[in-house]
Amino acid sequence: MSGATTAAYLARRAAQQERVRILYRRSLKDTLNWAVHRHLFYQDASDLRKKFEANKHVEDLDTIDKMIAAGEAMYDKWRHPDPYIVPWAPGGSKFTRNPVPPSGIEIVYDYGKEVND
Amino acid sequence: MAEVRGALLKHLRVNTTSLSLLRYPNPTRNGLFTLTVNAIRRSFFDEVMGSFLDKYEVTDRVLCVVKNFQKVDPSKVSPTAHFQKDLGLDSFDTVEAVMALEEEFGFEIPDNEADKISSINYVVEFIASHPQAK
Repeated sequence: MSGATTAAYLARRAAQQERVRILYRRSLKDTLNWAVHRHLFYQDASDLRKKFEANKHVEDLDTIDKMIAAGEAMYDKWRHPDPYIVPWAPGGSKFTRNPVPPSGIEIVYDYGKEVND
Repeated sequence: MAEVRGALLKHLRVNTTSLSLLRYPNPTRNGLFTLTVNAIRRSFFDEVMGSFLDKYEVTDRVLCVVKNFQKVDPSKVSPTAHFQKDLGLDSFDTVEAVMALEEEFGFEIPDNEADKISSINYVVEFIASHPQAK
């Protein structure tokens, strides 16, 4: 275990931390998809957090890689078929529903007023 | 509360005098209308095109959300606070805070961007420059 503080080790750890963060974020969103009611979601989210925290102190890089792969496999297994997407985000139902009108076009509110008034 | 204020400000900005004054400016009328002509034109297009939020409004709302977080000490929250250094949050806590902010402003942050968020400054700039933030 000579590579305690080498750059490659740190780079791998940083990459792993990023993967873990993204995995945690996605699994949290998925938990919200499955558990729609907020009190259920809080319960499930704290359970998820405990699972992540239990493996927090592992030091060996290969074990961490395997655990991340296992976590991602579990995420793929539990993905919701109809996730909640914010309506005006790409993939949502209101996306490009009211597009911006082309420039140079103006609505003149003259209410039938004649020019020679 | 901050949203109501912002909505009120936006509503007051659009002058409801008819836009026919833009087309046929009547020289016998008061000179006041000609001064507000450009203001009306600009605010009309602002309403249509962008809905970028005000930076102060964004800061207010972000600080409210962060203060209501259970693991954060409300007195340490300031507009330049760093999530992990100043507020003492974990990286998991940062992820949860970012999710809470996404829900508050009602838009999606892509995963790679959300990873880079580590201070309130960055959050405010990101949200203020995102056209879909409500």
